[in-house]
Amino acid sequence: MTLWRGLVSAWKRVEAGHDAVFVARWRQGVRREARRQQDTLRALVLLESLGVDNPVAYETLDLIPYLVADVHEWHQRMGRETFGDAGVCC
Amino acid sequence: MPAIVVVLVVAVLFYLGYRYYSSYLAKKVYAVDAAFVTPAHSMRDGVDFVPTNKHVLFGHHFTSVAGAAPIVGPAIAVFWGWGPALAWVVLGTIFAAGVHDFGSLVVSVRHRAKSIGTLARDVINKRARTLFLLIIFFLLTLVNAVFAVVIGNLFIATPEAVLPILLEIPLAIGIGQYIYRTRSAALVPSIVGVILLYASILLGQELPISLAGIAAEDGLFTERNLWVIFLFAYTFIASRIPVWVLLQPRDYINSHQLFIALGVIGLGVAIGWDRIVAPAFNDTPEGSPNWFPFLFITIACGAISGFHSLVSSGTTSKQLDKETDARYVGYVGAVGEGSLALGSILACTAGIVATTADWEAAYRDFSTASGDATSNFVNGVAHFASNLGIANSIAVIFAAVVVISFAATTMDTGVRLQRYIVQEIADIAGARVVSRNVTLATTIAVVVPLVMALLPGGGDAGYTFGVLWQLFGTTNQLTAGLALAVIAVWVTKKRRNPVAVLVPLVFLLAMTSWALIENLRNFVDEGQWVLAPLDAIIFVLAVWLIVEAALAMRRAWAGRAEVGEPEREPER
Repeated sequence: MTLWRGLVSAWKRVEAGHDAVFVARWRQGVRREARRQQDTLRALVLLESLGVDNPVAYETLDLIPYLVADVHEWHQRMGRETFGDAGVCC
Repeated sequence: MPAIVVVLVVAVLFYLGYRYYSSYLAKKVYAVDAAFVTPAHSMRDGVDFVPTNKHVLFGHHFTSVAGAAPIVGPAIAVFWGWGPALAWVVLGTIFAAGVHDFGSLVVSVRHRAKSIGTLARDVINKRARTLFLLIIFFLLTLVNAVFAVVIGNLFIATPEAVLPILLEIPLAIGIGQYIYRTRSAALVPSIVGVILLYASILLGQELPISLAGIAAEDGLFTERNLWVIFLFAYTFIASRIPVWVLLQPRDYINSHQLFIALGVIGLGVAIGWDRIVAPAFNDTPEGSPNWFPFLFITIACGAISGFHSLVSSGTTSKQLDKETDARYVGYVGAVGEGSLALGSILACTAGIVATTADWEAAYRDFSTASGDATSNFVNGVAHFASNLGIANSIAVIFAAVVVISFAATTMDTGVRLQRYIVQEIADIAGARVVSRNVTLATTIAVVVPLVMALLPGGGDAGYTFGVLWQLFGTTNQLTAGLALAVIAVWVTKKRRNPVAVLVPLVFLLAMTSWALIENLRNFVDEGQWVLAPLDAIIFVLAVWLIVEAALAMRRAWAGRAEVGEPEREPER
């Protein structure tokens, strides 16, 4: 039983190593694209905080709670040290 | 001379290059610092910027840079004999490619992991970025054209390989779907994929596919051209579908094929104890291109390749855990590419035939050497595989499948990248109709290389391919030249000795310009009115690059004399 567990554990390590070499770089590409789409949506929903009129602000109001959680990381990534609206994050 | 002796001597030279020369570069030229906080840490975001173990990162880097290019160039260049080809691969890898790959990684890391195009703008000037985009446009155009011809030629020479290559597409899609839906690790599906691909070789042997029946004898619709048209139609579609559907799972299969092919060549050479039958220096017939300077643009990847700077600065620099890891990842990556080129030289000089007379017949003139280069490599690898007990008829299909898989993936990625470059150039030029229309940008990315690949070349397809290959080599060397110029300027600004960077830079630019002038003269004499303007445009880019590099070096040198202290390092 111990031998079996050892073999399974060794196989898992081999699989993890293989994934790290061959899969990780592709996974990063997919995450990058997902983040880009999420950023676009966030920028559209938060248009007014960026000083741009948003004609569908009322309709997208419900989405804001889902997007503010990581808004601090987002605006820093976009090259803006502080967020425009006071009290949102920093 | 037994091929294994060459392998051992080159292995020792590569080791010495890594042990001593890269150590000199690390200490005196690039001054890498284990305490430097790399962008992978300072800008860590879990997506692009991720500190990665150096062995894993080497795996990422090597599988990204290795492809069919270091195979085809040496397979043509042994036309001048194995001596010049081998010397350029060994010296180029140690003193040029290692400096270039290692250097572009360090410079990128020291500039917040920016890509080489952006670095050209920041370190040289704004014009350098436009120059970079234009060089890359021609590089990708020629890459896609030559690889379409490579695949077309191999489909004709080995029709048994067509079915396995076609079956690889649904196989890769199936593997991708399986991994995506079951969220399983990729190891077992990838191995199953490789096994099924090689099993399909038996099917391909029974059902060879040829277009000879519907192709014309000459003119536009020859068998080769029909395959080229088919391939570009395929890449038009393949480059538009998401990467995870086809490109990603096919890369799992191809990455394993890379290591299998290297293993087969290494073991086949060691067990078979084959002798190199080609002459060290070949007496080339009258009218052939001279090895000096054409060798240095025929073998680009495998000796020094500008494409590596795109990978080094584009993705690898964002994942470097410690700056000192750059030596291992960058320099050994170059050595890996040099090893592939060595395998190609051995396959084409020790593997294809048993006697010198037969070899001289196979490489009787430049057209034959260029047109049959990839088939020669395939036959050489098949011979090494048969040393391991694999039937030669199966081994030939296996080797053809390996080369076509690499070339097809390069085309896939090449058209995809070209689409972005076309959109970026159109954006700079203010042509919004192109920059905002993906279909139009993809059409341009497909049609321009398609026209190149269909060039009649005065009826001599082999000659035209050889020349197109050399033009591809010039654009690759110009990309390397631009990266070396950026590195040289940075090293000079840091008040360190830039000679190790300047020597390969000056040599590359001189050889490339010389070859472009020689080719231009030949094209005008022969009345090749498609190749001549193309060559002239690339020559103008080369002159532009030389001027920008010289001006930037002059400024850096003047700044170095004026400023007492070296520039402060960012991100410390």
